[in-house]
Amino acid sequence: MSKTTQAPKALRGVGNYIDDRFHLAKTGEKNLRKVFPNHWSFMLGEIALYSFIILLITGVFLTLWFKPSMLEVVYDGSYESMQGVPMSEAFASTLYIDFDVRGGFLMRQIHHWAALIFVAALVIHMLRVFFTGAFRKPREINWLIGVAIFVLAMVEGLFGYSLPDDLPSGMGVRILQGVMLAIPLVGTYISMFLFGGEFPGEDIITRLYVLHVLLIPALLLGLIVAHFMILWHQKHTQYPGVGKTDKTVVGTPMFPAFAVKAGGFFFFTFAVIAGLSAFVQINPVHLFGPFAPTSITSGLQPDWYMGFMEGSLRIFPNWFDFQIAGYPIMTAVLVPGLVIPGLIFGGLALWPFIEQWITGDKRARNVADRPRNAPVRTGVGVAGIVFYGVLWMAGSNDVLSETFSIDLYLTTYIFRVLAIAGPILGFVIAKRICLGLQRRDRETLEQGYESGTIRQLPSGEFIEMHKESSAETVEVLSSKRDPSSTALAEEDVDPSGVENPEARKGMGKLRRALAHWYTKDNVTVRDVEPHSGHHLHHSHDHTSQEGPEEGKDGH
Amino acid sequence: MTENNNNDKNEAGHEKPERVVGTPSASAEERVVSEPTAENESGHAGPFEPSETHLRSEEQQRRGDKMASAWFIVATLAGIAFIASYFVFPPNASGEPAIASPQIAQYSNMLLGGTLTLAMFGIGAGMTVWARNVMPHYEVHSPYDELPSDDQEKGSFSEFFMKGADESGFTKRPLMRRTLIASMIPLGIAPVVLLRDLGPLPRDMMHHTPWENGRRMYVEGTHRALRAEDLENDPNGMISALPAIDDERYPHGISLNDQAKSVILLIKIPEDDWKDGMNQPVSEGSDETHLNWTYNGIVAYSKICTHVGCPAALYERTTHRILCPCHQSTFDATDAAKVVFGPAHRGLPQLPIGVDDEGYLISTGDFNEPTGPTFWEYQGGGGS
Amino acid sequence: MTRNGETVKWITARRRHPLAGYVVVILALALFGVGYAAMAPTAEDARAQTLAAEAPAPDDVDIAEGRAIFDQTCASCHGQDGSGTPNGPDLREAGSASVNFQVSTGRMPSMDPDSQMPRKAMVMSEEELANLIAYYDAEIRDGEAGPDVPYEVPGSEPQREDFEDEGSYEEALETYEAEYDSYIEGAEDTDMGMKLYLTNCAHCHSWSGGGGALTDGRWAPEIHDATPREIYEAMVSGPGAMPMFSDGVIEPEEKQELISYVKTLQAEPDAGGIFALDRVGQVAEGFIGWTVGLSLIVACAIWITAKQRAHD
Repeated sequence: MSKTTQAPKALRGVGNYIDDRFHLAKTGEKNLRKVFPNHWSFMLGEIALYSFIILLITGVFLTLWFKPSMLEVVYDGSYESMQGVPMSEAFASTLYIDFDVRGGFLMRQIHHWAALIFVAALVIHMLRVFFTGAFRKPREINWLIGVAIFVLAMVEGLFGYSLPDDLPSGMGVRILQGVMLAIPLVGTYISMFLFGGEFPGEDIITRLYVLHVLLIPALLLGLIVAHFMILWHQKHTQYPGVGKTDKTVVGTPMFPAFAVKAGGFFFFTFAVIAGLSAFVQINPVHLFGPFAPTSITSGLQPDWYMGFMEGSLRIFPNWFDFQIAGYPIMTAVLVPGLVIPGLIFGGLALWPFIEQWITGDKRARNVADRPRNAPVRTGVGVAGIVFYGVLWMAGSNDVLSETFSIDLYLTTYIFRVLAIAGPILGFVIAKRICLGLQRRDRETLEQGYESGTIRQLPSGEFIEMHKESSAETVEVLSSKRDPSSTALAEEDVDPSGVENPEARKGMGKLRRALAHWYTKDNVTVRDVEPHSGHHLHHSHDHTSQEGPEEGKDGH
Repeated sequence: MTENNNNDKNEAGHEKPERVVGTPSASAEERVVSEPTAENESGHAGPFEPSETHLRSEEQQRRGDKMASAWFIVATLAGIAFIASYFVFPPNASGEPAIASPQIAQYSNMLLGGTLTLAMFGIGAGMTVWARNVMPHYEVHSPYDELPSDDQEKGSFSEFFMKGADESGFTKRPLMRRTLIASMIPLGIAPVVLLRDLGPLPRDMMHHTPWENGRRMYVEGTHRALRAEDLENDPNGMISALPAIDDERYPHGISLNDQAKSVILLIKIPEDDWKDGMNQPVSEGSDETHLNWTYNGIVAYSKICTHVGCPAALYERTTHRILCPCHQSTFDATDAAKVVFGPAHRGLPQLPIGVDDEGYLISTGDFNEPTGPTFWEYQGGGGS
Repeated sequence: MTRNGETVKWITARRRHPLAGYVVVILALALFGVGYAAMAPTAEDARAQTLAAEAPAPDDVDIAEGRAIFDQTCASCHGQDGSGTPNGPDLREAGSASVNFQVSTGRMPSMDPDSQMPRKAMVMSEEELANLIAYYDAEIRDGEAGPDVPYEVPGSEPQREDFEDEGSYEEALETYEAEYDSYIEGAEDTDMGMKLYLTNCAHCHSWSGGGGALTDGRWAPEIHDATPREIYEAMVSGPGAMPMFSDGVIEPEEKQELISYVKTLQAEPDAGGIFALDRVGQVAEGFIGWTVGLSLIVACAIWITAKQRAHD
């Protein structure tokens, strides 16, 4: 078994041919040896990558028949239910793909399901990166690229949703145009230029098509390649553990194990998407009928990733609309349509820099934070999720109202309150939970874990035996760094009573305040000697509750 | 990126030991761990000899081999079934049963999709079993890049770059540099100019619709003009209507653009239910009131919501509310369609209506305000 | 395929079996599928149950029995003479179409006059309803006021218990089905039916007939079970908050196009797969995409990367 198989002659031939021209043997080996940390949460980005590949493949298939034209025709194709109905060529060709091209229906459904999964995977991948602090130096630029991919993916999805020119898709375009028209001064011009005249005009599908199949995918592809190359160059972050440091990455090598795993994962992703597409109907445009600007259906929704915008359009009131000399400033459209997405994506993009400014941490961080060990960041993330989630749910308030028999207007009021109160509550609760977990970690580190074995002491008292945790657990728990900030390193007032000039300036003051907020709550483990606690030996006060302050006395 | 650097270094003859991912170097920081026994301190960093790292018995490996192969066979069969099921249902030209029938389309979709799913899942599962049960398991160490480059490298780069810049004259010859930059500006603007013909300027086209004095109205979906007496039996009726235009260029007789701005909701309202707002002038300084613009209890409002343009069509006859199903802006039909709830900024525009000599409902003019989403210039330009 | 001959408990022995993972995944999938199938409406439900009848001849109805039913079940809210009370509206101008609609959809008699009634099974027999309508037409209705029952439009399917023997039931069923098909297939202009439905109905009842939310906690009911006659009656009588669409505004042939469009749409099999998510659309799709799609993929990722025990 110990003899290595000779490379087959053909393979050697190809290898030599390539190496003669590119000198790649060394680089090739190096890359085959690239290390991938072995944890499922590092594969979330791959779901997005694979869905994107599926989107490219099925998208190319669909373009072979799709006609991006708004010319009105009377349908006389083979799908009986729509015969004699006037519709755009775009819609007619979509029906052709569905009912005349074998496998066309499946491909269209795969394309749509893959789009939903693609954006969903981007979201959970991004959340993983956020909560583990994997966006920190040196990965800020890759984070920015990720945010850009997310935004482009949403726009790409919106445009793709619009192409079949069915009833809901046309309404999506209509809402987009309505938001454009509300832009002060230039809104009307932007709309006229994009639509080639008034809504709906005869150009918009053609224009969205070229954006959807050429421009945005090219940008996405470029950004994804850049994202991947940067990742390859900087290497993955990794969770704390034995031997895992900011200087050394531990994991499975690319070749052979990880390549096979990643390959298998591609097929799994494809299988799940194909399975959904085979059995779960999605976006049945042939049942919706063609778009007409005069028709509407109840329960009209965009695809899920636009739901938060739909929701903010629904719940933002018109109380702040005003007019300047007869010209309206439509805050009820502008805020939900432009300001809120700006806040969400702007906030996402800026967070690494804000956090770095607060903490002053300029070192390269390759070991991921456990979310509980950065409670303020985790709290902010949860607040963001709650805010997004409330808006998202508000986007389906009519469906919720109908399903749960709640007054429609009441749902609007509830969501208005929740959009403000929810994130605050989310922050407080998440932070409290983090601190609670920190406390438990400290206890585990000190006392070992609860073994489940109950023992009776000679005094007659029952205690639960604690056992020593594994070396891995000890390593993970004791690797916790306390949140700190360089802003707090200097005192407000130095010993001689002179105020720190930095602290007096506006920004300096703000930074110190934020730094205090960021670092104040923490359960340190720095003073804990692993397994030094008395529970491991002969404890009598097993049930006593230890707060973080009491915990510091170290028994 | 990294590859190029390495090649460059090699060509430059750097003899510095390279840090190659996963390769153990002489330095002590390189260490191989293999799980679960961290005993592999040998000089190898994978791929390892199976004898060195594999923790499974040959029998277990063989079972993994069989299991993976079984999955691959399943995948092969499913793949063949996928291709076969493509031919099960013929295209429509070749007769029945054809995929244009929704039921057959469903069978075809599920058969194709199901076999594809199984083929994909088989390969995925087989590869996972292979990776988990046949391959050796170990983890390797590899260093992260040292950040940033050391001062010497940086200094050398910077010196080289500036030397080049000086050599080129770019730094020393401002005239040339500035004229080059100046020459870029018009070229940068050119694409914007080229895009001018994307669309017409708005002018006042959004202020006018095909409604004019004497225009009859069709029930939407038909080409039948409505008479006032058609609504006699609807004390609480409502109907969606379009201007009676039969332009042969369009299947519906009227372009989508015109439909989008001229569609109306005709509502019949019992006389006692009108509210005070109906006695207000239809627009500032006008002699006409909203009530004057109704006919025999019938009022015509634009159907397009002034928020972002969905058809605000949901009319409740008990509350006389007109609700937009998209974002729930609500208008009061008995009160000049003023906004009573939701995000819309202004009420629905009203169309003046009457009857002609033959009793057909007609418009007697255009809307009092532009229809559709509120836009910047909606109060300027045309109007009624 | 026991690994070694030890006699341990059945499940423990198999828990770490190489096949155990697949079994769990397949069971989970099957459970999801079965659970969904149990909850999702079947295609048969979407098809209207329907019935044929012509206006009953005067000899066939018993006005006296109709009066008894009215006094017993309707008069407490609508008054002895049908002129209404604070608990129930005046019926004298409502028309027999309205009576037929409210009673045949089970909305009347109502237990709670303040809340919106959902569709239910009718509380009386077809015969009793016919007697009630005859009494209403003869004694309560204000002349010809209000719409008549559109007997030419197919109503609900004949029920077995209304017939003495299997033969006459099947005969009635056949007649009914022929009538139903000829009404639905008699429509020719899909575009007109679709336009009328999508511009006048879909904003409340949804493109699929699934219903939707109204204000003040009311809702537009789903119309999957509604017979063509009930749809017709709802249009001419405007029950609840629904506006009226009289035969002047939408002519009977146009109503036929509209009804045919929506019933055909509802009866159409879902070409995209057996799970149509109740035709709710994007909200349900997003929900499934996250809960089923993404979860299954993540489960696969967990399987791929799971730490392995040495003995696995």
